[in-house]
Amino acid sequence: MEFLTKVNIGDFRLAEELPDVKYYDIAIVEGTAITKEQLRRLKIVRKKSKILVALGACACVGGPQEIKDYRGNKNQLMRMIYPNIRGIDNPNVKSVKELVKVDLEIPGCPINKEEFFRIINELIGGKKPIIEQKPVCEECIRKNKMCFLLLGKPCLGSITLAGCGALCPANNFPCDGCRGPRKGINLEAMKKALKYKAHLCEDEIEMIMERFGEKNEYIKASKKI
Amino acid sequence: MKIRIDHIAKIEGHASFTADIIRGDVKGARIKIEDGARLFEGILRGRKDEELPEIASRICGVCPVVHNLTGYKALEKAYGIQPDETSITLRKLMMLGQLINSHSLHLFFFSLADFFGYKSDLQLVNAYPEKTHDAVKIRDIGNRIVEAIGGRSVHPITPVLGGFRKTPDILKLKELLTDCKKTMPLVLKLGDLFTQLKYPAFHRETTLVSLIHPNEYAIYDGRVKAGKLIFEPKEFLLLVKEFQRVDNVVKKTKFAGNTYMVGALARLHNNFEKLNPEARKFLEKSDLKFPRYNPFYNILAQSIELIHCFEESITLLELLITGEIKISEPKILSRTGDGVGAIEAPRGVLFYDVRARDGIIQDLNIITPTAQNLANLEADLEEFEHIEGFNGLKKEERIDRIKMLIRAYDPCVTCSVH
Repeated sequence: MEFLTKVNIGDFRLAEELPDVKYYDIAIVEGTAITKEQLRRLKIVRKKSKILVALGACACVGGPQEIKDYRGNKNQLMRMIYPNIRGIDNPNVKSVKELVKVDLEIPGCPINKEEFFRIINELIGGKKPIIEQKPVCEECIRKNKMCFLLLGKPCLGSITLAGCGALCPANNFPCDGCRGPRKGINLEAMKKALKYKAHLCEDEIEMIMERFGEKNEYIKASKKI
Repeated sequence: MKIRIDHIAKIEGHASFTADIIRGDVKGARIKIEDGARLFEGILRGRKDEELPEIASRICGVCPVVHNLTGYKALEKAYGIQPDETSITLRKLMMLGQLINSHSLHLFFFSLADFFGYKSDLQLVNAYPEKTHDAVKIRDIGNRIVEAIGGRSVHPITPVLGGFRKTPDILKLKELLTDCKKTMPLVLKLGDLFTQLKYPAFHRETTLVSLIHPNEYAIYDGRVKAGKLIFEPKEFLLLVKEFQRVDNVVKKTKFAGNTYMVGALARLHNNFEKLNPEARKFLEKSDLKFPRYNPFYNILAQSIELIHCFEESITLLELLITGEIKISEPKILSRTGDGVGAIEAPRGVLFYDVRARDGIIQDLNIITPTAQNLANLEADLEEFEHIEGFNGLKKEERIDRIKMLIRAYDPCVTCSVH
C-alpha cells in the first residue's frame, strides 16, 4: 500500500478498467506470449516503455508450458486435449527476451516479494539493480553434511541463481531450478552429479532440466563448453 | 444492438464478451477466453507422478494451493493412500488460508467497486482507506497461513504424496492464532458491509453443485451434491460432458445435459447448516434465503464464507497447538491406478482425474470451477433482459451490469485454460 503512493499504475487490468496510458516509465511483463494478440500487445508495450522488466519464471525462462516443445509433436499433444484445435495458437513457447528487448529480469516461481520491491524501488530511484550471480547453495541451510545431492536427491541448487533464500531445501524439497541458471555454470558437471549421485537416467535428467524451460543464455553458453 | 466488451477487467486472466440485443432480448451471449493454451494436461503425461502437483500448481498464481492438493488427492485415491489425521488438518488449514486470500481479494478489490460505480480500485482505495487497510490485513492472514504450512505463500512445497515433508513451526502457528483472533473483528466489519449491500435482482433456476460432508462445511473432502442428487466424485464426472467450440481454448461442461453453477453460493446452499456460529448469524441476518438462484449473491456468500473460514482456522490452529503435530510416513504399496481428486477451490469444486502406471502419469484431465461455470454464466447472460429495468438502461449501463454479473461469478480465466 505504501508502495502505491510512490507510483502511478498505468495499466493493471486486474485492478481497474480504465484505458491504457500513452507511455510507461517501467513496464512489468508476466508470463509468456502464446496467442498472436498477446504477442501484438507485448510489442506495443515494448514500444511505449522506457524500461521493460520480465517478471517470473514464465517470462524469464519459458515456464512449465515450454515442456511441450520438448515432448514430440506439439499439435498431437493439443489434439489429445482439445476436440477442435482449429483457431488455437500453438507456437513454440518463448521467453520474453526472445521476443522483445528486455532490460531486466526478476526470476522465480514464485518471485521473491522482497527482491521484487528492492529492484523496483531501485529502478524508481534511477539505480541499475543487480541480482548477484551466486548459486542457491550459498543460501542453503543444508549445505555440507545435509546436502540433498550428496544424499542422492536430484537438487539443482548448484546451477540455480540464488536470491530465493533457498526456501525449498529448507522445507525438505530439492531445488527445482525455478529461478533459472546462474552465470558460468557447468551443466555437464551437474548432469554427471545427477547421474552418479541421484542415480537418474539421461531421460530423467532431461525432464528435470526442462521443468522451467531452457531458454537461457547461460544454458546455451554452458553447452558450448 | 451489438454489445462487445474487449476486456473484462478485474477478473483473473483475459476474457472478452459479445452479444446481440434484439428488441430487448440478449441473444448469443458469448464469453471468449483470450488466454493461450498451455497444455498442462498434455505436458504432464509421461512425467513422474510427484511432479504432477508441483507443476499443476503453476496453473494459477491466485489458487495454487488447490491445484497442488487436488493433484495429490487424485494420486492418493489412485494408489489407495490414506494420509494421517494431522496431515489432513494441515491441508484443511492451508485450504482455509487459500480461501481467505482469494475471497478477500475478490470481495474487496474485484467486486466492491461495482457497487459504488468506481472504474478503478485506486479510486476505491482513496475513498475507503481504512477499509482497504482492513482488507489487506485480512488477506495477509490467508497468505501467512499458507506460508506457515506450505513453506511459502505461493506454490506450496511441503505437501507430499500421503502427507507432508515438513511440519510447521509451532511458534508460527501460535502467532497466527493470536493474529486470527485479533483480525476477526475486521472480518465481521467487512461482513457487515457486504450484508448491507443491495444485490441486483435476478432469477434463473439452475443446478447448484458442490461437495458435501456429513460432519463439516465441505472444503477439503466429501461427496458431490448436484441439486438433490449425491455422487462420489468419480460417478459425478461420468455424467459431466466437456464440450469445446472451434476457436475457443476452454472446455466448458454440462451435467446431464444442463448447465450448472459451482462456487461459494452453491457451497453455502448445500452446506449452510454446517456453518460456524458467527457465519451462521450473518447468514440469518442477511436477505440470503435458500434456494436463491441469483449469482450476484455469490458475493455475499463469499463474505459469509470468509467469516466461516476465520472461525474454522481458529479452531484448527487451536487443535494443532494443543495436540501433538506428528506425521507418519505413508506406505505406498503400488503406484498404479486411477483416481479422482475433488476439492472446493475458492471459485468452486475442482476435479483432477488421473491414471498412472508404475509412478508415471498416463492420462490426466483437469476440470476447473470456471470451466464448469462458463456455460451457466452464458445462459444467465442470455436471460439478462429479465432483470428488472434492464431495458430502460443506457448501453453503457447495460455493459456495466453485464460486467458486474460476470465478476460476481469470480471467474479465473487462467485456471479455465490450463
